[in-house]
Amino acid sequence: MMAAAEVLVRLAAWLLLAPLVPGLINKVKAWVAGRRGPPVMQLYYDLAKLWRKGVVLSTAVSPGHVAAPAVAWVALVGAALLLPVGSSGAVVAFRGDALLFVYLLALARFGTACAALDTGSAFEGMGAAREVSYAVLAEAAIITALLTLGVQSGSVSLASMLTPAAGAGSALLAAGLFAVLLAENCRVPFDDPNTHLELTMIHEVMVLDHSGPPLAVILHGAALKLLVFAVLLAEATLPIGELSPFAAAGVLAGAVVVLAVGVGLVESLLARFAFRRVPLLLTTAFLLCLFALLAAWKGGAR
Amino acid sequence: MTPGTLLLVAAAGLAWGIAGAWRFPRASLAATVGGAVAALGAAVWVLAAGEPWVWQTAVRVGGEPVKLQLDALSAFFLVLVAVLGGAGALYAWEYWPDAAHPHSARTGRAWWNGLLLGMALVLLSANGLQFLFAWELFTVCAYFLITRERQRPAVRAAGWLYLAASHAGTLCLFAFFALLAARTGGWDLGPLRERTDLAPLFWLALVGFGLKAGVFPLHIWLPSAHASAPSHVSAILSGVAIKMGIYGLMRFSGWLPVPAAAGWTVAALGAVSAMLGVAFALAQHDLKRLLAYHSVENIGIILLGLGFALVAAAHGDAAWGRLAFAGGLLHVWNHGLFKALLFLGAGSVLHATGTREMSRLGGLWRAMPWTAGCFTLGAAAIAGLPPLNGFVSEWLVFLGLFDATSGRGPATWAAVPAAILLAITGALALACFVKVCGVVFLGLPRTAAAAQAHESGRFMRLPMVALGAACVAIGLAPALFWPAVAHAAAAWQPAWAGLASPAPLVTLGVCHVILAVTAAVAALLLWRRVRRNGFVRAGTWDCGYAAPTARMQYTAGSFAGIITGWFAWILRPERHASLPEGPFPTAASYAEHTPETVLERVVQPAAAGVMVVAGVARRLQHGRLQAYILYVVVGLLGVALLVLAGGGR
Repeated sequence: MMAAAEVLVRLAAWLLLAPLVPGLINKVKAWVAGRRGPPVMQLYYDLAKLWRKGVVLSTAVSPGHVAAPAVAWVALVGAALLLPVGSSGAVVAFRGDALLFVYLLALARFGTACAALDTGSAFEGMGAAREVSYAVLAEAAIITALLTLGVQSGSVSLASMLTPAAGAGSALLAAGLFAVLLAENCRVPFDDPNTHLELTMIHEVMVLDHSGPPLAVILHGAALKLLVFAVLLAEATLPIGELSPFAAAGVLAGAVVVLAVGVGLVESLLARFAFRRVPLLLTTAFLLCLFALLAAWKGGAR
Repeated sequence: MTPGTLLLVAAAGLAWGIAGAWRFPRASLAATVGGAVAALGAAVWVLAAGEPWVWQTAVRVGGEPVKLQLDALSAFFLVLVAVLGGAGALYAWEYWPDAAHPHSARTGRAWWNGLLLGMALVLLSANGLQFLFAWELFTVCAYFLITRERQRPAVRAAGWLYLAASHAGTLCLFAFFALLAARTGGWDLGPLRERTDLAPLFWLALVGFGLKAGVFPLHIWLPSAHASAPSHVSAILSGVAIKMGIYGLMRFSGWLPVPAAAGWTVAALGAVSAMLGVAFALAQHDLKRLLAYHSVENIGIILLGLGFALVAAAHGDAAWGRLAFAGGLLHVWNHGLFKALLFLGAGSVLHATGTREMSRLGGLWRAMPWTAGCFTLGAAAIAGLPPLNGFVSEWLVFLGLFDATSGRGPATWAAVPAAILLAITGALALACFVKVCGVVFLGLPRTAAAAQAHESGRFMRLPMVALGAACVAIGLAPALFWPAVAHAAAAWQPAWAGLASPAPLVTLGVCHVILAVTAAVAALLLWRRVRRNGFVRAGTWDCGYAAPTARMQYTAGSFAGIITGWFAWILRPERHASLPEGPFPTAASYAEHTPETVLERVVQPAAAGVMVVAGVARRLQHGRLQAYILYVVVGLLGVALLVLAGGGR
């Protein structure tokens, strides 16, 4: 447990920095395509605008349509606060918080998928079905990654699991987690955040009928989730927790920027996969994490 | 009042519940609920104190003196009997009223009290013969409760399958108790951990109790029985009756030695049940059948905990075994609570719309906000989402598995796939319950029946709200319930006595409270912001559909399509499609049905084989005297040859 002031500072950092990552990705994509692109701060402007806007609610929706984005956002913020940042530990760390982390992500998924089905739209139902189906494979990969870190560190608490590097299987784990990052954050090649062809979308199609402040909450939650996965990936593969606080913060920030650039490049250079190939790619991610687990086990580090 | 007095009051209440079932319905209901409260008091007393209550008399039943015993483990299960027995009785008052079912409501009350009495006696018996009596009592009462609507052929078939499967299980238990009595020289039950020669008997118990618990592939009776029974009966069947199988397994794996492979087998059965149970659930279109398959899944999670606990106990490495056992044990309560809640919710839906077919429902939250809210709460709990109770028990099992992984023993090899399977099961359960909530309660009504639904009355709402509150309570304050789990675990393995609470349980509870409060506040603030900014109502936009109709909504089958495709190798769905053809297609249709694979592909062919053999054997019996005399002569000759060949030994 930490002092209230520090918790607040950290919370503010998570909330304020999160919208920067999608901005960076978009800048990279624009740069590769030879365009000037929207400003890096674009998402901040969008969020501020949406927060002030009125709302159109479908006649079909229940009050849950507004409550679910809020619950999902709180779950994602909770997941973010469970992650240690740099070498200064997590807001709250206890044995088994790694599992709470995974299930908070699941809670967010439950909220968004239910809100999507609330509209009675076929498209949004389709998106929700894809989201919860592919999440099965993604969750298997995440748990395997956590098992790897658990075997590596002999702990079930994120703060101590993420302190050392993942050892022998670091590269495998990084590749697996990167694929999960792309899938869970609706990025190419699993999904395309820019498309407006509903039939091909997963995550974006679930929020078609959201508008105004609830949409702002959803967009901010999505940005936060991206940052959470980027930090998780960076800390799982690099021994950030063992550095001095300033060096750790610098390395972490650098790693997140590198990941954002990587996502941007993947998005610029790859096409979206056909849906029947998505499970294959996610299974590959799971297998990469599994091999990382075997490597960690045989590596014998403790 | 001591536990003995309370149990006496409970027995009197249930007895009056039976006696007054016909003439005094109100008094009967009050007596049942009162009896349940008294039984709950006795169970809580024993769980709080941790000291067993024993009562021995000279009265003989079946030639054996009656010996009743309530230790922490049986009290743990008695809590469930009492809570769900009371809640179900209240629910039935309105769900299955005397006015609508003049005969079956009255007899139903009597069988209900008989069922509770039978299950309580199973938990209290410390004598093998009386255990069997009680076991049979509750099995038969459950049969009569399942077949409340005997006029429907599907119900009769389900009841028959239940009876056949239950008695196949009871046969194994007869063998188990008879062999136990033969080897120990008496019917008394109690700890015999040093008698290692008794270990092989565990396999008989596993089949007998496993059939009752509904472990895959012994679950064949479970889906149709749960779907055909009235909903309050489904709730107690799923919430408590199948847990009697778990109780049996825990009781006798604690009292008797187990073979070396027992833990591994139970864990493997648990993992398979968990994963395939939820896969089958996803493929169902019938709301109650879907919930029934989730019982198979949750029994799997419980057995996963028990299996790893057995492995840990056998290897003397108890630390992670305790966590796994505590998780499995707490999941007994949790599953009982949220599954009963879900079945009662499904009952309210059935009551309001007259159908269990999910594709005929939709948009029910408008007419039934209480039911929709309680059901969604139960759905989040069964999907293992924080801050509810399902997460707490799955978290304990996960912790045990993670600790086993870092132990680097032989258990590691099992713990890794088990943890991954448990994660996949959790994600599949989430998919399944998003489907149920979305298709049944959200969106637009798909039929007139769904559009004209009505909320259920007080007697149906109260049990649902109470069960939902219990789910929230265990989720928000898990540490409060830890002493009960610890005492029950100590009754299972005395070596584990004085089991300290794994410290993070308090922290987890605090996190859960913060999560719940923050989520509620955030939802409220967001709603206020929406109201302040102003909102207008319009049709679902859906990227510009001019006139979306309710029939265009995603259905249960299409929602689960991706995942059921992955599991088609075991689900073997039957599809009947007439596709639109030609430039001006006529009416097209598509229907999909997922049969109970084990029943239709394994058990029924095997049963057909038995019938063929029996048919051949029947030809020997034809009523011709000459041939019978020939049988006798041939038989005698055979015996004579046997004697001669044996050399007169």
